[in-house]
Amino acid sequence: MRFQSFEEMLSYWAERKENGPALIFDEHGKSSWSYAEFLRRVRERAEELRAGGKTCLGVLADGSRDCVVEIFAAVMAGLQLVMLDENAPEELLRRLIVYTDIDALWGDEDLCEELAPALTAGVKDGKGKILFFTSGTTEQAKAVVLTEQSLCASAWNGGAKLPLQPEDTLLCLLPLGHVFGFVCGLLWGLSCGAAVALGRGARHYGDDCAFFEPTAVSVVPLLLGFLLQRRLTNPGLKLVLVGAGDCPAQLLGAAAAMGLRVSFGYGLTETSSGVAISVQGDPYAMEVCPDDTITLAEDGEILIEAPTCVMQGYYKRPADTAAVLIDGVLHTGDLGRFDEEGKLHITGRKKDMLVLPDGTKLYLPEYEARLMQALGHTELAVILQNSRPVLVYSGEGEAEELLRRLRPAMETLPRGQQLAGAIVVDEPLPRTATGKIKRWELQQKMER
Amino acid sequence: MNRQEILDKIRTVILDCFPDMRDMTMEEDTVVNTETAIDSMGFILVICKLEALFDIKIPQRQWSKLSTLGDVADAVQKALEKK
Repeated sequence: MRFQSFEEMLSYWAERKENGPALIFDEHGKSSWSYAEFLRRVRERAEELRAGGKTCLGVLADGSRDCVVEIFAAVMAGLQLVMLDENAPEELLRRLIVYTDIDALWGDEDLCEELAPALTAGVKDGKGKILFFTSGTTEQAKAVVLTEQSLCASAWNGGAKLPLQPEDTLLCLLPLGHVFGFVCGLLWGLSCGAAVALGRGARHYGDDCAFFEPTAVSVVPLLLGFLLQRRLTNPGLKLVLVGAGDCPAQLLGAAAAMGLRVSFGYGLTETSSGVAISVQGDPYAMEVCPDDTITLAEDGEILIEAPTCVMQGYYKRPADTAAVLIDGVLHTGDLGRFDEEGKLHITGRKKDMLVLPDGTKLYLPEYEARLMQALGHTELAVILQNSRPVLVYSGEGEAEELLRRLRPAMETLPRGQQLAGAIVVDEPLPRTATGKIKRWELQQKMER
Repeated sequence: MNRQEILDKIRTVILDCFPDMRDMTMEEDTVVNTETAIDSMGFILVICKLEALFDIKIPQRQWSKLSTLGDVADAVQKALEKK
């Protein structure tokens, strides 16, 4: 069912699944709200928010049932909504509050109090806008303006390819402040009338499957690895949707060996989450979702036309918007190819590419995978220093020794592409919440 | 509980979760939340076990700031003082 608003979605299922659970959560044991109960609470809270006179609510998303109510109620009340990561550094949160015109905060009381001095006078034309931040893998985070229509369309799009049934339970483990977590961890389930089990946070990554007994779960590759290596999935789990990052083949193979159906999704914050998804067979071969048209530019860049799901633009950054959204087509910066069956494969990221002085290009995911394999270590990245590729290695070791071990792998590359040096750091590489390396931040840090 | 006892208990929990690290010397300044020692998900596991063992809560906002064994001991000590 294609919905235009959150209220329509909840009302539809409240009528058809009156006593069936919408949200399952831990409240001194497993508890739930029906769709009718959930809708009633959202409407009540929306009334309070309307009366409160605020215009832009920042939600420090903790994934609780009250957080979900607040999100839906703010949208229903016509406030501009900004989804914030409650674990982000306070200084960053202050900057984002000012940038996005937030005049009210919801979340941990102590944190809200600390951030309160940064609150602004609000916004005049924010109605209907829902702001998510890009993961900032290659540059500073930008607020992407989405709407409930675009998010509902995205949930429908995914559900059309990968439907859940009202009897299913979707476990929501990922942060709601990220669009993949919000759409694929929450809206996907609600739009299909399934129950959504609200994970209890990072502390319970290890036992949420056993506690909630889901039939489906959305994860990032890092979390999939954790669940599989420690065999933390429950016997009733049938479907795993993996997204928001590259997923090693051995991980997908391990999941399949455990009898799990694994689908891989591709999408961006700018498209309100997924635009292509693998349904059966090769998990890397993805079918384009019904509302989307995907073509490839001459250099292989993935171009997306998704009228129902694409962003309105980057908040208060028209030049950035104009650079990627051209005549309604989103230039993703990702590289792909279509196979003979017309299925999309992701081959790299244009922005994860280094251009060398001799005109050759280094595709970092592929290059780094080569280094990872040679060193048997994944906590590394490559940056450019003096126009030459340099390894940044997080962990213990000597730069010279690392380069010595890499020599056989380097010898197979053109000279200009060989590593010019190595830097060993004793702290983790900066990563986004979904595990991607923050290349922009790493480059800046190393230059300092 | 003194600092040495806290450090000993943390080492025990880490080795319990990651027996492969038995031969590794863990001092206060040993970086424990990197891939060489414990990956980021493994680190969450360690924190959760420590919280259960000491009956404390280390705020999640602090997790990313904990790098060395000493940092973890500081966080445990602070949480114990708050009890």
